[in-house]
Amino acid sequence: MALTDFTIIRRSMFARLFSTVTTIATVAVAVALMLVLLSMRDAGQRAFERGSGNMHLLVSKDGSAMESVLNGLFYAKPPQAPLTWKEYEELSRRFPFEWAVPVQQGDSYEGFPTLATTDEFFTAFKPAPDQAWELDKGSYFTKEFEVVVGAVASRGANLRVGDKMVLTHGSPMSRDGGGLSLGGSGGGAPVIKPHVHDEFKFKVVGVLKPTGTSHDRAIFMNLNSSWILHAFDRKEREDASAGKAHDHGSHDHDEPPMSTADLEEQDRLITGILMRVAARPGKDASAFLPTVFDALRRDKSITVASPSDQIRKLFQIVGGINQILIAIAAAVVVSSGIAIMLALYNSMEQRRRQIAILRVLGCSQARVFGLVLTESALIGVLGVFSGGVLSLLAGVMISGALKARLGMVVIPTYSPQWVVPVCAGTLVLACLAGLVPAMMAYRTAVGKHLRPLT
Amino acid sequence: MSNQEALKIQGLRFFYPTLEGRREWVVNVESLSVARGEQLLLTARSGKGKSTLMQLIAGLIEPVEGSVSVAGQVVHAMRGPARDGFRGGHIGMIFQTFNLLPGFSALENVMAAMMFSSIPRGEHTARAGALLTKLGITDPAQTPEEQSVGMQQRVAVARALACDPVLVLADEPTASLDPDNAAAAMDLIQSACQEKNAALLCVSHDPGMRARFVPPIGRVCSLDELAGSQRKIE
Repeated sequence: MALTDFTIIRRSMFARLFSTVTTIATVAVAVALMLVLLSMRDAGQRAFERGSGNMHLLVSKDGSAMESVLNGLFYAKPPQAPLTWKEYEELSRRFPFEWAVPVQQGDSYEGFPTLATTDEFFTAFKPAPDQAWELDKGSYFTKEFEVVVGAVASRGANLRVGDKMVLTHGSPMSRDGGGLSLGGSGGGAPVIKPHVHDEFKFKVVGVLKPTGTSHDRAIFMNLNSSWILHAFDRKEREDASAGKAHDHGSHDHDEPPMSTADLEEQDRLITGILMRVAARPGKDASAFLPTVFDALRRDKSITVASPSDQIRKLFQIVGGINQILIAIAAAVVVSSGIAIMLALYNSMEQRRRQIAILRVLGCSQARVFGLVLTESALIGVLGVFSGGVLSLLAGVMISGALKARLGMVVIPTYSPQWVVPVCAGTLVLACLAGLVPAMMAYRTAVGKHLRPLT
Repeated sequence: MSNQEALKIQGLRFFYPTLEGRREWVVNVESLSVARGEQLLLTARSGKGKSTLMQLIAGLIEPVEGSVSVAGQVVHAMRGPARDGFRGGHIGMIFQTFNLLPGFSALENVMAAMMFSSIPRGEHTARAGALLTKLGITDPAQTPEEQSVGMQQRVAVARALACDPVLVLADEPTASLDPDNAAAAMDLIQSACQEKNAALLCVSHDPGMRARFVPPIGRVCSLDELAGSQRKIE
């Protein structure tokens, strides 16, 4: 096979294999960093927006609307203060809500948070817009001490239909074990340290299909189950105060030691209300929403949040950081261009003799210039290609980690709108980086570099 | 200029500018012609501009005065790629240290010379292979690093003759070789040039070379003999 310009370039690259590979790797990492940041930017916001589903408002007693959304929707940590059932009933009757679903958080199983709620959570609330709940196996809970497990929780905690489990009070995400006393007299009660509710065995009756939202990490039960659990805690504390010792051996742990009949008003606590204001059929937005939102906000005893607004606000904050990260990534891309230039520049001293020989053999100065510039561009092409592959792999890994740890489906999206400029920009940069070494090659003094080495 | 004339030099002068402002001709050749098939040994002491003259003839540097014609073409009248292409197709060069491309096989080193010529690409491999075989290279896949000095010299000769040049310029071709290898290398260069009917201009400061360049094919002259009367730059 005849010798070609490409053979000369290839040999030159292979002759300095370590330098070539590290330079390509530098470009690849820079490109991958840029692509991952850009692909995750929009995907992250979409994933968060998806989690609020079809609810309009979230009411809680958290310190701020943002906290309310992070805790109530994304299970960041158990909410800090409960709402009473009476408050729920009053709030849900105050305006023409299409539905108002009470939820209670606070317990967990092997790190997966529990959510106690009503049937409406599965019938009225949709975890993602236009996506209703679907069972993968089993059925929804119909009575106390039955749980339905989210897809990620099922996989992560290895829970199958028919399995028995006991819950831990508090969530591992709150280091103090939950911070919320659901079994006591409200916010003023002392913090309960995590402990296992081994008095109550729950049975898995259903496993949900993945929704790609944070709810996939949750374990669902009816409110009575959770209330009984915490009523039992209250009873234990009351007995302890009265000097009565709780005898675990005195009751059969397969049979719950308490029932709904034992519940008192103070046990019926919730941590949030998911609300949807009545809207015209087929419409997501409601004309009443701003009025309802304003009216609820005036009630200083509660915190009302519009999840979509809060997520937007969150991403405005994160967006600034994102821009800084993208600027840093751009700087890394530029420095990778400098790395190409340095690698080629440093190689020029070794290559001047080769260039001088080629010139003697009839190679023009322009062709020598082209050889070096092509090599630089080729490093850019290989770097961009490797960077693209690397970003896809990183995207899959990040997406997988987010899904496994948060249950959120963050699918990196690659829009030609920014993929093309990033790739083309890097290639242009690679070519520019080759200009100085190419000019050195162009100006190589042939006679000087053909002299015998001394 | 006759078609049989491979090289014709007229009033060729060149100097390197120095920081001290000293301006003396490094090359000063009033007239020189070499016919096709002729073999000329140009002698001079070291530092007398032999290599610079070679570069001028090859069109690698610009003369201050005068002209160089190879195969009837005024070398410096051509510009850029045209001159480079002409050099690749008409002039072969052999160096003291061979200047083979490191990391490239013997075959590739010979084909490198054809890359910039008008020889059809499809013929390169066969042509280079045949030439190497003829010059006694049995393993054309070997790189210069794997070859003996003698083998490298053979590859360098093959590369210089690859494009059937009109003129072969040999710049101190035996200076790096021991007497036995030097004799063998010169035998090879001279016989190969003769076979290809290429003119050979060999520059050397080795007095022992004189005996190889005898009439009717060979001739010897010194650079001093060729110098014009004008020594200082006016």
